[in-house]
Amino acid sequence: MLCQNCGRNEATTHIKRIVNGEATELHLCTGCAAHLGYADMFSGFGFNISSILGSFFPETSLPAAGEEPLRCSTCGFTFDDIVRTGMMGCADCYDTFYDKLKPSLTRIHGRASHIGKVSTSADSLTERRDRIRDLTAQLQEAVRTQDFEHAAELRDEINALKGADHQ
Amino acid sequence: MTKWYQLSGNDNDTAVSTKVALARNLSGHAFTINLSSEEKDCIAREVMDVLNEQLPDKFFATPMGDLDKDVAISLAERNLVSPEFVSFAEGRHFISTPDESLSLMVCEEDHLKIQAMLPGLELSRAYELADRLDSLLDEHLLFSFDKKLGYLTQCPANIGTAMRASVMLQLPALRIRGRIQTLASNISRLGLHLTGAYGEGENPVGSLYSLSNPVTLGISEDAALSNLKSLSESIIDQEREARKELMENLRFQDMLWRSCGTLKSARVMSFNEFMEAVSVVKIGIASGDIHVPMDRVNELIFTLQPATMNAESGMPLDRQVRDVKRAERIREAFADA
Repeated sequence: MLCQNCGRNEATTHIKRIVNGEATELHLCTGCAAHLGYADMFSGFGFNISSILGSFFPETSLPAAGEEPLRCSTCGFTFDDIVRTGMMGCADCYDTFYDKLKPSLTRIHGRASHIGKVSTSADSLTERRDRIRDLTAQLQEAVRTQDFEHAAELRDEINALKGADHQ
Repeated sequence: MTKWYQLSGNDNDTAVSTKVALARNLSGHAFTINLSSEEKDCIAREVMDVLNEQLPDKFFATPMGDLDKDVAISLAERNLVSPEFVSFAEGRHFISTPDESLSLMVCEEDHLKIQAMLPGLELSRAYELADRLDSLLDEHLLFSFDKKLGYLTQCPANIGTAMRASVMLQLPALRIRGRIQTLASNISRLGLHLTGAYGEGENPVGSLYSLSNPVTLGISEDAALSNLKSLSESIIDQEREARKELMENLRFQDMLWRSCGTLKSARVMSFNEFMEAVSVVKIGIASGDIHVPMDRVNELIFTLQPATMNAESGMPLDRQVRDVKRAERIREAFADA
């Protein structure tokens, strides 16, 4: 499909918009999309990341034909899916593909780390999981030294934390 | 029910509205790109369960698929949902307070987009509203969050605070003086973004622009909001200066009074024509020469849009009929101008 603005280049940006009370779709090439101010704000919350990811990862960085690509164990997305859609498949994709994503993240955000609001539920979950890991190690040690009274206390504490985790 | 845009806001001669949006995803669900419509419904239910329990009768949820076309498009016209959210309605829900100042888009790009909208320049108050709702939901739902990357979003460009704050500014004088392009490029050098709010290109309808923060990682919410606030104030000052210059120009005065005359007496008026005329007339209202409350004018920017008028009348109006009705309402508002 050709760009509706210049009529010359292939349309790569498809924008839903409201004109005179009707939902319509506008098909633009990258140049016209940028010129008309659609390069980012209008394509949803962020900008079209697939072009950045796509241009940053030449085809050679994708697995060769026949080779089984790395898949996110939670949602099944491959890195190819991320480049194609410009979207992550689930939160665990950030972990699975972190090394491959890093150059693009740096390109978009610089070398920054998060310094804003911290999700209290996620934060307390991380703390709880760290605490469970510590206690489990202590429990194994208590069992090894046959300190069963202490082991029972540790087991109860672990179960209580795990219970809170499942709420 | 009075809507947020029917209330008075700060700096309302230039700042039409402020919006703060926070993107959040629920841990334990894949991102929306991988969700079935049943799973999307399930997320809306989880959110509504918390809201009904914690803030009973404050919010109502609507499946987008159940909405009448004009009602759905009216939400997009008033900036409460994206056009894309309206076009693919399946599994998507719009949750809102009756005055629409606080709302959620469920399963747009991210599971939740928590949005606060207020009239005028009100960044801190809008953030407070969104933040409070976010914290409440955070207590009861587990959000996808990473200490280093912040809130995890479907699009990697939004990680970090996952906050987009924007101020809608009406800048007719800067546009007439040909200063928008220089302004926009200076703004982008400061890491912020100025785009047309309605319509595309260098001449957005009614000289309405949206100023927003594209950076979400490595900057706190407070810092992003304070950058946006100080830059908004500086643009507002520049616009007011440019308006003063224009008011001394006879050609501009002629244009101003002609536009006022059109608003006072036209019998048929399209939304775009109204927007162009009103953006000029606002300069005369701000200078005290034309007597119409500024809040009333800002309210009309939201209520006179095509689908919003259809939704209000409860039936799809023929374009001609709508243009006549619109002109009537404008004449009424400008009768004593």
